[in-house]
Amino acid sequence: MEVTLKLEANLVIITIEGSIDGNTSGELQMQIMGKISESDNVILDLSKVDFISSAGLRVLLMVYRQIKVKNGKVVLVGISEEIKDVMSMTGFINYFQITDSIEDAQNIFKS
Amino acid sequence: MNNLEESKTFVASLESLEPMRDFVSQTGSNAGLNKKQIYGLCIAVDEIATNIILYGYQNSGIDNGLINIHTIFEKENFTVILEDSSTPFNPLETKIPDENELGLPLEERKIGGLGILMAKESVDEFRYEYKDGKNFNIFSVRPNDD
Repeated sequence: MEVTLKLEANLVIITIEGSIDGNTSGELQMQIMGKISESDNVILDLSKVDFISSAGLRVLLMVYRQIKVKNGKVVLVGISEEIKDVMSMTGFINYFQITDSIEDAQNIFKS
Repeated sequence: MNNLEESKTFVASLESLEPMRDFVSQTGSNAGLNKKQIYGLCIAVDEIATNIILYGYQNSGIDNGLINIHTIFEKENFTVILEDSSTPFNPLETKIPDENELGLPLEERKIGGLGILMAKESVDEFRYEYKDGKNFNIFSVRPNDD
C-alpha cells in the first residue's frame, strides 16, 4: 500500500494505492490522521485501491468522525464496483460523497 | 468438467492476508468465476482469516499457527475451506449488525460484527464445522450464476 498526501487550502487530498486490509490499515491510519486534524475537508482518492476489508472501513469511519465534528466533508474518488457493493451492504455508502475524478471532488469544495 | 482441487498452507499472520487473497483469486479465476464472485470470496477469506489470526491464535497465545486453504471446484460449486487449529469459534453465531443498526448515522455506529456480516453477504453460502480439533469455515459460490 502506498499513500500520498497533499495539503491544499483547508483540504487534504489523500491518494492510496494497493489493498487496505488488517495488515495495512494501521499504517494507513498512522500516515493520514495527523494531516486530517489540520484540515476541515478530505478527498480520498481510492481509484487505485483494489481491496478494502472491514479494517479499511474502520479507517474510513475514523476519517469521517474527525471531519464531521468540524462540519467538513469527506469525498471518495473512483471507488470500484466491488468496493461500492461492500459499502452498500454495510450502509457506509450513505455518508460519503462519491465522485469519478479528483476534479469533480475539488469542484464540490469550490461551489 | 474436471474436478479441481488445490490446497495451500499459510502462516497465521496478517502479512499472509494478501497472499491468501491472491491464491483464492487465482484458483477462482481458473474455475471461471466472475470478478464480483472472486472479490466476494476474497472478502470472506480475508475477514474470517483476520479473526482466526487475531483472536483464534494471537489472543490465545498460540505461536506458529497455520491456516490451510482448500479450494474445490466440482459440479456447480466453487468452494473455499479455511482450516485452522485455533480456539473453536463459530462466526455464524456472532451477533451481526441488523438493518436498524446499519441505518444509524455513521457517528453512532458500532463497528463490531461488520467483518462477519461482509463475509456472509459476499458469498452464496457460508457454513462452519468443528471436527477433530479444527475449525472449518466453508464458503461457496456458483460459477454459472451472474
